[in-house]
Amino acid sequence: MATKEIGIPFLEGRYSPTLDIWPIEAKEFNRIYKFYDHLREGRFTTTKCSECGYIAYPPRVICPECYSDQLEWIDLPKRGKVLEVVEKWGGLPLCFKPPLISAWIDLGKESPLKRLLSRIINCPPGTLKAGDEVQFVVFDVPSHPIEWGQERRIVDRVYFAFEPVKK
Amino acid sequence: MANRRACIIAGGMCKWGVREASYIDMVQEAAKECLADLPTLKPKGIDGLIFASTFVGRRSCQANTAPVVAERIGLKPTSICARVDVLCAGGSTSILMAKGLIESGMAEVVMVMGGEKLYTPERWQVQYDEIASVDHDWDGPQNVGPPPLLFAFIAKDHMRHYGTKREALAEVSIANYDYGLNNPKGHFQKKLSLEEVLTAKDIAPPLGMFDCCPLSDGFAAAIIASEEKARELTERPLVYIRGGAQLSLHSVTANWPGDHLGDWPHLRLAAQKAYERAKTGPGEINVAQMHDCFSISEIIEVEELGFCKKGEGGAFIAEGQTRLGGRIPTNTDGGLLSCGHPFGGTGIRQAIEIMKQLQGRATNQVKGAVMGMTHNLSGANVEHTIVIYGREPVR
Repeated sequence: MATKEIGIPFLEGRYSPTLDIWPIEAKEFNRIYKFYDHLREGRFTTTKCSECGYIAYPPRVICPECYSDQLEWIDLPKRGKVLEVVEKWGGLPLCFKPPLISAWIDLGKESPLKRLLSRIINCPPGTLKAGDEVQFVVFDVPSHPIEWGQERRIVDRVYFAFEPVKK
Repeated sequence: MANRRACIIAGGMCKWGVREASYIDMVQEAAKECLADLPTLKPKGIDGLIFASTFVGRRSCQANTAPVVAERIGLKPTSICARVDVLCAGGSTSILMAKGLIESGMAEVVMVMGGEKLYTPERWQVQYDEIASVDHDWDGPQNVGPPPLLFAFIAKDHMRHYGTKREALAEVSIANYDYGLNNPKGHFQKKLSLEEVLTAKDIAPPLGMFDCCPLSDGFAAAIIASEEKARELTERPLVYIRGGAQLSLHSVTANWPGDHLGDWPHLRLAAQKAYERAKTGPGEINVAQMHDCFSISEIIEVEELGFCKKGEGGAFIAEGQTRLGGRIPTNTDGGLLSCGHPFGGTGIRQAIEIMKQLQGRATNQVKGAVMGMTHNLSGANVEHTIVIYGREPVR
C-alpha cells in the first residue's frame, strides 16, 4: 500500500513568496538588490536623491520627495544605543525560535535614519538593557530557487540585525 | 446632488470566536442578522456591497471576493461591489466609502460587511500569516508582524515617559471585559479580576494574555443609506455619519512619526481632521468605541483623541472615566479585548454599537447619547481611522 500523503506533497523543494518571511533579493526580481549586495560586504546602506538630496529609508527606486530616479547609495551608522528592549517568548511565527529579543535603537542625532526596531542576535536572554550599545550584524537566511528563462538555479540570501557590543 | 446625507440604519453580527464555520458561512449569518434588524429591507433593496477582509485571500484562498459574497447573500449590486483591505480598519473604511458613494448620488443603500476567518485547519498559520500584516521586506524579518511586540515597546515607552503603572493597563481589560459580559455575540463573556490579569501568561512583557485582544473568527454587516431612503425604511431615530478621517504618515517602524512610541501624532492629526469635518470636538462626544487591540492602546487613545491630558490616560481609565457614568463611556459592547478582533469586522461592530447607543437601544446604554465616535488603528500602528456619528447631521 502506498504511503498516505499529508498536506501538499508537490511543494517539496518549491518556493512560495506567500510563506516567506525574507525578501526576494535576487536582481531578477528586485531593483534594490544592491542593498543586499552591500549587506554581503558588511555595509548598511540606503538611497539618497542626487537631485534634491533627500535620504529615504527603506531604499527606493524613486525619490519620494521629488520623484527623481537619479539616486545614489549612502552608508548608515552601524552602531546605536538601545532605547527599549522586549523579549518575546510566545506567539512567534514558525520561522523564529523563542526567546526573540528585539530593541528600539537610537542611531544618533547625526544619522539620516534616527531610530530602528531590530532583532537582537548573539545575545543571552535577560542581559540587554536600555542604554547598552549594539552593532549591525549580517547573517545568512534560507536560499530559494528562481526560474528565469530556461534556467533554474538556487540563490543565496542574507539579512541584518543588531548584536550587543562586547564590553 | 447637494445636501445628500448618509445614515447608518441597521446592523448585525454573527457569533465571534473560534468558529466551526467557513468565512462564507459566517458572511451569510452576518447578513441575516443585519437584515433581521430592519425587516422592511430585503436583499433586492440593496444596491451596493463593500466587503472588508484582509486575510480571506491568504487563509481561504479567495481573491475577488466581493462577487462571491454578493451571490451567496442574494445581492445583485448595481452601484458598487468591491473588497477593501485596510486590515483592522477595513470596516470603518467601508463605511467612509459608502458615505462618499451615497452623498455623491451614486448609491442609495449599501451593505458594508467585514470580518475574517483567522483559524486555519493547522494552527501554525494563524500566527504565521501575521508576517503579511507589516511592510514585508523591512519589518517582517524583524518580527514586527505579530503585533504584541510593537505594543510591548509602546507600553514600555508610555510607562517610562509618563509613569503609567502596570495596574492601569489591567484596568482597561477589566473595564472592557465587564462591558462584554452581557454581549453574547462577543468572543468572551468573562469577569476578570486584577489578580488574574497581573498573573496571566506573559505574551510580550509588560503585556500579558488579558492585555491582548484574541484572534477571532467573525463577520458583521451594516446598512448605510441615503437620508431619503432611511426615512422610507425605518421609524427609528436617524443616525448620521457626520464625518471622519483616515490617515497614514508612515509604514516602516523606523519612520515612526512620534517623539517616542507613546507619542501618537498621527492619531492627533486624524482626530483634528475628523472633528473639523464633523463640526464637533471631544467635549461633545457622549460615547466612543476605541481600538483596544491592547490595553495600552486605549490609554493612549483617550489622550490623543482629547478626552484627557497627554500622559494621564492610565489614571483616567483607572478612575472609571470610560465606564457608564464616566466622562466618556468607551467600548460599551466589550471592545476588541472582549469581543475579539476579526480585523475588518471590528469597525462594523463598533458602528453598530454607536448606532444603537444613539438610538437609545444599546445593552449598556449611555443615557441621552446624541454623538458618538469610532476609532481604529491598523497594522503596526501605521493608520488611524475615525468615524463620527450624530443624531443631527452636520449643518
